[in-house]
Amino acid sequence: MTKNGPLEYDYSVSKLFIMNALFVGTIGMLVGVILAWEMAYPEFNTFLGEDLAEYTNFSRLRPLHTDSVIYGFTLSAVWASWYYLGQRVLKVSMAESKILMFIGKLHFWLYFSASAVIVLSLLMGITTSKEYAEFEWPLDLSITVVWTLWGASIAGLVGFRREKALYISIWYFIATFLAVAMLHLFNNMEIPTMFVTSPAGETMIGAWWHSVSMYAGTNDALVQWWFGHNAVAFVLTTPIIAMVYYFLPKESGQAIYSYKLSLLSFWGLMFVYIWAGGHHMLYSTVPDWMQTMGSVFSVILILPSWGSAINMLLTMKGEWQQVASSPLIKFMVLGSTFYMFSTLEGPIQAIKSVNAIAHFTDWIIGHVHDGALGWVGFMVIAAIYHMAPRIFRREIYSRSLMNMQFWIQTLGVVLYFTSMWIAGITQGMMWRAHDEFGNLAYSFIDTVTVLHPYYTIRAVGGTLYLIGFLMFVYNIYKTTSAREVEEHELQNASPMGA
Amino acid sequence: MFHWLERNPFFFALSVFITISFAGLIEIVPSFAQASRPLVGTTPYSTLELAGRHVYIKNSCNACHSQLIRPFKSETDRYGHYSMSGEYAYDRPFLWGSKRTGPDLMRVGNYRTTDWHETHMKDPAAVVPGSIMPKYTWLYENETDVETAYAEQLTIAQFFSTPYNKAIPMKDGTNKIIKMGDSIAEANALALEEAKVIVADMKDQNIKDAVESGKIPEIVAIIAYMNSLK
Amino acid sequence: MNKIYLWGIIVAVTMLTITYMSVIGSKGGLNGDIVNMFAIGGAVALVVIIVFVIIKFVRQMQVDTADGELSDDNWDGIGEYYNAIPKGWAIMYLATMVYAMWYFVIGYPVNSYSQIGEYNEDVAAHNKKFEKKYASITGERLVDMGESVFLAECKVCHGLAADGIDGSAADLNVRLEFRTVKDVVINGSNNFLLGSENPMPDRYGLMNANKDYAPITDAEIDAVSTYVANGMSGEGGDVFAGACSVCHGDDGAGMVYVAPNIAAYDITLVTNVLNHGKKGSIGAMPAFDRLNAKQKEAVSAYIISLSKGE
Ligand code: HEC
Ligand code: HEC
Ligand code: HEC
Ligand code: HEM
Ligand code: HEM
Ligand SMILES: [Ca+2]
Ligand SMILES: [Ca+2]
Ligand SMILES: [Cu+2]
Repeated sequence: MTKNGPLEYDYSVSKLFIMNALFVGTIGMLVGVILAWEMAYPEFNTFLGEDLAEYTNFSRLRPLHTDSVIYGFTLSAVWASWYYLGQRVLKVSMAESKILMFIGKLHFWLYFSASAVIVLSLLMGITTSKEYAEFEWPLDLSITVVWTLWGASIAGLVGFRREKALYISIWYFIATFLAVAMLHLFNNMEIPTMFVTSPAGETMIGAWWHSVSMYAGTNDALVQWWFGHNAVAFVLTTPIIAMVYYFLPKESGQAIYSYKLSLLSFWGLMFVYIWAGGHHMLYSTVPDWMQTMGSVFSVILILPSWGSAINMLLTMKGEWQQVASSPLIKFMVLGSTFYMFSTLEGPIQAIKSVNAIAHFTDWIIGHVHDGALGWVGFMVIAAIYHMAPRIFRREIYSRSLMNMQFWIQTLGVVLYFTSMWIAGITQGMMWRAHDEFGNLAYSFIDTVTVLHPYYTIRAVGGTLYLIGFLMFVYNIYKTTSAREVEEHELQNASPMGA
Repeated sequence: MFHWLERNPFFFALSVFITISFAGLIEIVPSFAQASRPLVGTTPYSTLELAGRHVYIKNSCNACHSQLIRPFKSETDRYGHYSMSGEYAYDRPFLWGSKRTGPDLMRVGNYRTTDWHETHMKDPAAVVPGSIMPKYTWLYENETDVETAYAEQLTIAQFFSTPYNKAIPMKDGTNKIIKMGDSIAEANALALEEAKVIVADMKDQNIKDAVESGKIPEIVAIIAYMNSLK
Repeated sequence: MNKIYLWGIIVAVTMLTITYMSVIGSKGGLNGDIVNMFAIGGAVALVVIIVFVIIKFVRQMQVDTADGELSDDNWDGIGEYYNAIPKGWAIMYLATMVYAMWYFVIGYPVNSYSQIGEYNEDVAAHNKKFEKKYASITGERLVDMGESVFLAECKVCHGLAADGIDGSAADLNVRLEFRTVKDVVINGSNNFLLGSENPMPDRYGLMNANKDYAPITDAEIDAVSTYVANGMSGEGGDVFAGACSVCHGDDGAGMVYVAPNIAAYDITLVTNVLNHGKKGSIGAMPAFDRLNAKQKEAVSAYIISLSKGE
């Protein structure tokens, strides 16, 4: 590469992460679909036979689903985006520094190996039970190393940058890095049990990977949901915002609607998000004032969240023809819409009286997947569709396939959240119901059997979403051998075959 | 000001970090001063109960079952007294759960019994028609890991002064002692002793034989844990 | 009207109809429960707000044009406008901030809210509402009330038909099963059935008065168990008269402070089982102290009604 020539960006690390996102996304969502069918038809718990039921039943698979879609699928896509757009908005190429390249590759391969161990350990039932932080201490340590490598990569690219001011996406990546580092460290304070000595002098007693939490009971819950809520914030929200802030203006060729709006939303989000974790513990044994804090800050949180989404939608002002014609932009616009949806739904569920019904029910699961399928899933898909032509220098294999995928997945999401919405409210109301005599109107099992139709609808919706995802994987796979394109065709709108 | 920050990554990162850290300090730290004190009558888990708790966690029962009774008439009618912070003082980790696909289990020891669990865990739908809970048949074959539970007991006794082998005051004025072994062999013996009490109420001859021969199937441990939830 | 508004209305109305039907049609129902109202209100607000806010932005994509002052910065071809912050958003933001501050400084402290306090009030109100009603409930209504308790609390063990689900709990359609009686006669019983510790002796304490107080034999045990399980009829009546009636009475109806009724369920027996639980040959029956006195009376009435006519 010459000093004055155009930069040649190196996407090899990005490519690895994209592959991983496709692979783990397929597995994670397949497991999600299995879970959904298991809830509708419990016979599916033994779908590989009675002998393997220990590894295929709902409860063993559930953490595998959540962790693989969050930390496998989503994070891979986030990192693919980082290694792609980080270079471009900072104007440095990974190829410029052997060290950066080495860090990037090491980052990927360590992450990949840790993920493989995580999958095995979850299947074996090695878990600490904390949602989204199930991993035992040896894995916590590996995660710390992987995370630090990402930090090194950020520091490196930012350090070498030629673009003085940091682009909005970089703000969000930096925030993601810092917040998750903090959350991970504090939520995983635990003491390995293998170092202890019995009065009889025995050592190395029991499973070496086992640990016990530093916090007990209510305190443990507080730390866990401070983590849990912000893991959602800083893994399923901020890095995805980083992605939409790059891919939507880039693909559409439009300038960001308002710098001030970006600025206020960012700092607002940083400030408000952390306070809201209390909404996971409403009516629990944590002090009233803390619950109230969680509730009130959740309502405020609508605004900084909507700020980014509005900024994106306004960026598309006057560009309806693009939305109508490009399935890639459709994914991003609908994704932003679902983001608004879940960030209004969440605060509503965080109101104490609403949470009295919503908590513990499927309505929460509905909320999760509005965000996960509609926002995270769609944005990841759009990001990869945008990156693929540039990485492979080929057009996207098929626009019509992509269009079909869009509608199938949209239908899937709608079926998912409407069914869970109804299921959740029904369940919540039945639990509360007293009859004319003042007795509980329903035994618990009555509230389970009524949900069967909704569980079935959800399973169908999830299956549709998975089918759409497989179409996506196929489309990307075919893209690697589709028609080659010239550099100039890649400026904005991605080239697509029929 | 902000433009300046956006050109100075270090101060930018520092500002972000400050903005995101103090909410945690204000919300979490004060609660640590009060929230981990046991309620009178709350005792640590015995060896077998703790091993059962590990079986519960290993199988992620908390994916479907909560252990948190909220202060609503409908919940206290169904599950008993609402939960109080001090009752969780020995829960590491806490197991409140966040989804009630099945009922709350905070006080299930009050209204379900050993023999009921024995048949229920093997085939829930046979006992409760329409149940969507999976069959946990392997619990009847897998052997309980008592040693890890023992290691955990030693750890919490050492680091958190969990009162094993000490008199713990009960509500009625009496004292209770939760025993912890002095060696692996003694821990196993204690667990076996508890297991014998449980299997006395069980029907499955294979389980009874196993315990007779000194082995503790996981089902026995998890029932010990279920029965301890009161 | 633009077609998009029509779509918005269709989507909103469809979603609201589904919600309405599922709620009204659901077994929970609104019930005048304020919390239910809040949940439904929230769901409705969510749909309506989202649909119409999104339409607003879609309209802007359709008819507005992008303009404004571009900033100097440009990243990988992405520009940035210096557009003002949307007013509605800014106002809402300020409003929520002010609300939050008001709430912390005034709203919350002045309210001195406590969730346990709220619970206590709720329970008191509930009890007040139902205590009046309870007091007057008798006869058929009492049985109905008992059935409602039974279905919520007991059917997981005793089964919908109260038949004990293949023998894993007591069959409540009959007073006593053969296996129970036989077990009790052989092993005795100590289940607080009379409300206090008052055990029934085991076989070595049971003498047949008709046979010079000889200890009861295996054959006699079978005979008397058949007799009791048959609802105090058939063979074995003589053994009963000789060995059991001293305590349980000639007709098996029991005697206060001495022995329980084994000919039919009565309220004392069921209440005692609910208060103390029971451990027998079938298995263990947990105590249900958390039911109130009226609920215990009602569920007894229901159980008594089941075995009527046996
Ligand atoms: C797929 C969800 C699911 C999983 C996983 C699950 N359960 Fe359940 N559980 C249920 C449902 C639904 C019920 C209510 C119906 C019934 O009693 O079977 C239930 C009922 C119970 C009950 C009876 C409680 C009562 O009040 O009636 C116990 C005890 C129980 N489960 C224990 C466990 C244990 C222990 C595990 C893990 C080893 C577990 N469950 C895993 C769904 C589940
Ligand atoms: C010394 C007095 C006495 C005699 C004699 C006696 N019983 Fe009892 N029986 C009791 C008492 C007291 C109980 C209640 C025990 C308890 O609280 O568990 C009882 C309980 C029972 C029960 C259990 C009821 C239930 O609901 O589980 C049966 C069955 C029974 N008796 C049958 C008999 C038969 C048959 C005989 C004669 C062969 C007999 N009893 C002789 C005192 C007696
Ligand atoms: C966890 C399971 C379980 C639950 C829940 C349960 N029972 Fe039982 N119940 C049993 C078993 C097992 C027995 C048989 C005990 C024995 O005699 O061996 C029994 C026995 C009884 C008896 C005594 C019958 C006799 O002959 O003495 C009565 C009465 C009874 N149950 C009523 C109820 C009522 C009313 C409820 C609900 C409020 C209820 N049970 C809930 C398991 C249960
Ligand atoms: C303004 C923003 C948001 C607020 C205030 C909010 C609020 C809430 C509330 C109140 C709950 C339920 C807690 C309970 O009762 O159990 C919840 C759960 C959840 N939300 Fe959100 N939410 C927001 C945005 C999002 C987004 C964008 C996502 C992205 C996917 C998301 C993912 C989740 C997840 C995964 C859970 C489940 C946590 C658990 O396991 O219990 N949320 N949220
Ligand atoms: C094909 C698509 C998917 C299907 C069918 C599916 C299905 C499910 C099911 C059945 C559950 C368990 C719900 C319960 O316990 O009641 C679940 C939980 C969850 N899923 Fe998915 N899922 C899918 C995709 C995703 C994706 C893409 C994400 C994230 C990016 C995600 C995140 C989660 C989370 C966070 C939970 C836990 C929710 C909670 O505990 O509150 N899912 N999913
Ligand atoms: Ca951990
Ligand atoms: Ca959850
Ligand atoms: Cu949250």
